[in-house]
Amino acid sequence: MHSLILEAVLLMALIAITLVVIFDKDLLAAVVTYCAFSFITMFLYIVMGAPDVAFTEAVIGVISTIYFVISLRNIDRRCK
Amino acid sequence: MAKKIKNAIPVVIIAIVLAAAFARFDFLPSIGDPDAPAHTRTSDYYIEHAVKDTNSPNYVTAVIVDYRAFDTMLETTVMFLAGLGVVILLASRPDPKARIIKPRKFTENREHLGAPAYQSINKDVMIKIIEPLILIYAVYVLFHGEVSLGGGFQAGALIGMVYIIDTMVSPGTISLIRLPKERSVALAGAGTFIYTLTGILTLVGGGVFLEYGKLPFSMSFEEKHSTGILMVEVGVTIGVMATIITILNAIHERARFDDDK
Amino acid sequence: MTNNMSGISVFLADKGIYFLTAFLLVLGIYGMITCKNYMKKLICMNIMQVAVIFFFLCFGQKNGGTIPVQVTGLMGARHYINPLPHGLMLTAIVVSLGTTGVGLALLTRIKEKYGSIEEDDIIKGENKF
Repeated sequence: MHSLILEAVLLMALIAITLVVIFDKDLLAAVVTYCAFSFITMFLYIVMGAPDVAFTEAVIGVISTIYFVISLRNIDRRCK
Repeated sequence: MAKKIKNAIPVVIIAIVLAAAFARFDFLPSIGDPDAPAHTRTSDYYIEHAVKDTNSPNYVTAVIVDYRAFDTMLETTVMFLAGLGVVILLASRPDPKARIIKPRKFTENREHLGAPAYQSINKDVMIKIIEPLILIYAVYVLFHGEVSLGGGFQAGALIGMVYIIDTMVSPGTISLIRLPKERSVALAGAGTFIYTLTGILTLVGGGVFLEYGKLPFSMSFEEKHSTGILMVEVGVTIGVMATIITILNAIHERARFDDDK
Repeated sequence: MTNNMSGISVFLADKGIYFLTAFLLVLGIYGMITCKNYMKKLICMNIMQVAVIFFFLCFGQKNGGTIPVQVTGLMGARHYINPLPHGLMLTAIVVSLGTTGVGLALLTRIKEKYGSIEEDDIIKGENKF
């Protein structure tokens, strides 16, 4: 039902994506990468055996990314 | 040199915290152990008696809506308060001088603003096909929350997403339902009120607050539990949907899209 | 080869997954401290939350258990995984949506007042340090 090696691989992918989000200079790229992060955590929750939590995370990850993209319209897209 | 030292301080602190965290992992149980302390108290009772007490084969729904229904009522209140906070923060008119507007260079080349830039699928037609399917799926998830996976949160978020698709994809058209942010936050309050109304009805029937077996309807015991769960989940759905619409409208009103007129 | 794989599995079952979870959490904290842009701090807050939720779900596992929906042959609490952390985490995910919304509303007001959302410009605008 849950395999530990698959979880370890997905967690390492999450850590790599976090490094991209922290060190990127373009805010729109960081927000789209956050959408990919949310997608991979949904897979992680399915592997852990929690399909309710995965369903909720899938829907709310999309809505959260939409909020970030809309509020990026008011804000400068570059980042120092 | 001082700047390098100042940049290195977070890394040093993080390294110390990591080392301290890794050193003492002996007290954590190994994953998958069925005798871990997380499993030995009440969760065995919940798994074995859930169908007898609450008539719902989904144990997660039975836990959050029946055994621990008070927590979910306060969670719905928190969602309503978050929507209220956003409305209060963004209630003023924005100062037109304070917005940073960047003129787009390619705006002058497009003759009809709002027309698609490429010859592709007509977005309006595709939305009108997709939206009813999502709504039907949301109602299915709401009503079958206690038999299979689902529940109130997922259904509310799906209906909120239908509203987002309706207003965001083609900005020129006027959508059928206009909900400014004040009205939708009132709708979120109505969702919390429906939840609390179920609790008050059980008090009227003579039981403890939110004990579904004592609702004043004339049904059998299992049907009363199913009806109580359904009413409560409708309240949660309305609360979550209205909060999502509120936050979207509040942020969306202040954004000016430079490539539309 | 199989000996190596079972050795890795034993290590992961005992402590390895907790290492990776703690590393993700600490990376989120580092992002919140170091990034000078306020929107990146909000994104790192959501990243920290994923690490905490995964840590909770780790506690609910049982060897050989299935998902917590009743199957009509299987009786007994030994065969289903613990449904209690799942319920708590559902609430946590939905509340984090509200928190992100309020954070973005604050960000919009900060931008209108100070003109930028970089930390150095806001400190200069406040003129307190």
